[in-house]
Amino acid sequence: MNILNSRAWTLPHSDFPISADGLLSPGVAETGLMNALESRFREMALAAGAEERQFPTVIAEQILERSEYFQSFPQCASAVNSPDKKGRYFLSPAVCYHCYQLLTNSALAGDTLLTCQGRCFRAESANGSHLWEFTMREVVFLGDDGFVRAQCDAWKQRIAGWAAQLGLIANLAPAADPFFVAETRGKKLLQQIKELKYELTVPGLWGTDVPVASFNLHERFFTSRFEVTLTGGEPAYSGCVAFGIERWCMALIAQHGVNEALRRVEESDDLR
Amino acid sequence: MGSNATGASAPLSPAVESLLKFVNENLLAGSQEKVAPDTALFDEGRIDSLKILRLIAFLEVRSGKKIPDELIVMDRFRTIETIAKNFPDR
Repeated sequence: MNILNSRAWTLPHSDFPISADGLLSPGVAETGLMNALESRFREMALAAGAEERQFPTVIAEQILERSEYFQSFPQCASAVNSPDKKGRYFLSPAVCYHCYQLLTNSALAGDTLLTCQGRCFRAESANGSHLWEFTMREVVFLGDDGFVRAQCDAWKQRIAGWAAQLGLIANLAPAADPFFVAETRGKKLLQQIKELKYELTVPGLWGTDVPVASFNLHERFFTSRFEVTLTGGEPAYSGCVAFGIERWCMALIAQHGVNEALRRVEESDDLR
Repeated sequence: MGSNATGASAPLSPAVESLLKFVNENLLAGSQEKVAPDTALFDEGRIDSLKILRLIAFLEVRSGKKIPDELIVMDRFRTIETIAKNFPDR
């Protein structure tokens, strides 16, 4: 890791323009690479048995409130107007919140795997790696604690293995959300100490370590708030894995160039 | 849950003893369950996001040193014994 940290990657000869407010309009080859990456993540999710879902880009305020999103990340939400100006809506900061809403007040029939993809918005300070709008593919797993942990571990291995196969220099390590506000420092430390979050991080992009995938155990956080239970009535556990498509694209272009990156993604083995 | 909370035969070090007292009598004051020096402290949801801050504050006062966030990891906080070993009294 120390050796990797000393290396600063740049994007060589790529058409990957990011505006000052963190909006991206990739070129033709770069769009091809993004589509190829998204397609591979989708294939992996379906091969793992996930049921695919599509959700709106907009999300109701009460879903984010129920997820305690505003308490943890009050500075990141982007509000939008609804057609009738009733209710408050935001651009989704993550896709998986829709999954918990979908399952509200339900008992799971068994181990549950969902996958979804969408445009996500986080109004963090825009820089090279923090886009305001980005594409996220997620796999959400719900069931008992053992199932959720096993899924999370399996995805860590699968994705670390795939990254190695692509020749992507990256590091899988425990992490904590860096954007928790001061009042939620306890949540951040608990997440860190219990190793509830792992990230696959690419070193040296824009002079910093940039996460390209996160592997998250939620324990009963979402299932208790959205009243999702196991068949016996006890609260289910949940977890998710999330892939930031643009960041994978940037990292691969930086390390291999867009054409070679696309070749590697297209020729990589189907990992299950 | 590790071994029982009261049956340890070997004498406890003062650091372990004071930490054990703080956790059982303060952090877990409202709970029926008590922990032993070797109990996995963060299992079963017994330490929440407020209790972790109170635990860290206790350790900082006891040692007279601020604990940087990067040192707050499972390897140093797994049990009361590991905490006492990694964050000794001043």
